[in-house]
Amino acid sequence: MWDILDTEESVRPRTVVAAVVLLAVALVAQVSIVARLDLPGGRFDLVLVLLAAIALIEGPLVGAMSGFVVGVLADLASSHVLGQSALVMCLIGYAVGLVMEAAERSVAVPLAVIGGASLLGTLGYAAITSILGEAAMTGGEAVGRALAAGVYAVLIAPFVFPLLLKASRRLAGGRARGGR
Amino acid sequence: MGRDTRRSRLVIVALLIVAFTLITLDYRTGRSATGARGVVHSVLGGVENGVTAVTRPIGRTVSSLAHPNRYHDRADRLAQDNARLRRQIADDGQVTRLSKELSDLRLLADKGQYSIVPAKVIAVGDVTGTDWTVTINAGRDDGVVVDKTVLNADGLVGTVSAVTAHTAVVRLACDPGSRIGARLERTQLLGAVAGGQGPSTLTFTLYDASFRVQKGDRLVTFGSLDYVAGVPIGEVTKVTDVGGLSRTAEVKPFVHVGTLDLVGVVVSRPPADPGDRLLSPRPLPPQPTAPAQSGAGTAPAQDGTG
Repeated sequence: MWDILDTEESVRPRTVVAAVVLLAVALVAQVSIVARLDLPGGRFDLVLVLLAAIALIEGPLVGAMSGFVVGVLADLASSHVLGQSALVMCLIGYAVGLVMEAAERSVAVPLAVIGGASLLGTLGYAAITSILGEAAMTGGEAVGRALAAGVYAVLIAPFVFPLLLKASRRLAGGRARGGR
Repeated sequence: MGRDTRRSRLVIVALLIVAFTLITLDYRTGRSATGARGVVHSVLGGVENGVTAVTRPIGRTVSSLAHPNRYHDRADRLAQDNARLRRQIADDGQVTRLSKELSDLRLLADKGQYSIVPAKVIAVGDVTGTDWTVTINAGRDDGVVVDKTVLNADGLVGTVSAVTAHTAVVRLACDPGSRIGARLERTQLLGAVAGGQGPSTLTFTLYDASFRVQKGDRLVTFGSLDYVAGVPIGEVTKVTDVGGLSRTAEVKPFVHVGTLDLVGVVVSRPPADPGDRLLSPRPLPPQPTAPAQSGAGTAPAQDGTG
């Protein structure tokens, strides 16, 4: 598996590790800080927003892999079935990574994509729990929460995305990344 | 670079297969906090505890950051004093609020003669938002064990579902997997309260089909070997099975999940069932409406005052 990472056209382990560490910090912040805010309508999902931003910047491979690792960590920290958020986050990371080309064209694209990723991810969580017969909320509530998560994600994306872009450029270091 | 290549498709397929395998393997086995899960629980629990301790007095942190230690001139010193006093005021508000919550909790526990371990909520739910759990900063070392009842000043919060040395995970009453024995106020009729309808609705199922549940009836826990009896749960807002035997009803819990902070874990049962003692006294209904209600349905709860 690691020879895939080492090849030239793919990603470097350092990027994945940095992404996973950042998302793990977001994991704790999400349950200890964001979940306590009691925002109207629902809450924003810090982990999904960061994951979508990372996948937009670094591509589908980093998105899928860091999403999977953090998903497993989130599952281990929770009391639901192991692997369900790993599945959702892995898919979100991959799918968002696929449109990374489009993100360079316009400022609106990252906003829409990050908002859409939060919406779909929240819906995905609800869907997978109901498939497993452990539905935590009704369909209407799930949709409402997903919409709220999407709106909040669009609101905080302008702050998160440029920061991550800068960090990514710095992490890339000498690599000729600025040319893009 | 990093586009949809054959390699990236290979990786995502491999990861998806692993995820499905994990789900399949874990679905059948119990999900207790042991092994890898236990390690992650206790590590993250410690971190969450630290984060909560740091972020709780927000005003304090902000004001102390905004005013670094400089005593060069009088203006600075005054600003320093000002910041300190502001911090003190913020702390006082926090302490007052906490002490009120603590005394309310103490009052409820005394009414029911419960022995409680007070604890603070340090994390709400999990990252997906689909787990109706909270993490508290009391664990095995404080005497908390699995299946004990958790309450706050308003009533029933849930039950302990997993413990580590210094933290515990509480399954809220509104969790779809939660099922708690309940008793209607002032009658001995039994039923069960289950979650799964979101945070502000519980489903009450009455075992005795011949009795009609009515809107406004209140529920307390029934109690068993682990769960204590008499903890207020909520009030019936809607009888859902109207046509048939009126066996199910929607219940609005007394506890608001969004504002959970200080809770108590009941670690030992009272010597006697406290009955309805813990419910707040019901305000007397206005006189004109009373006959109309008693005429509409047989309501032993309204006729018998004791």
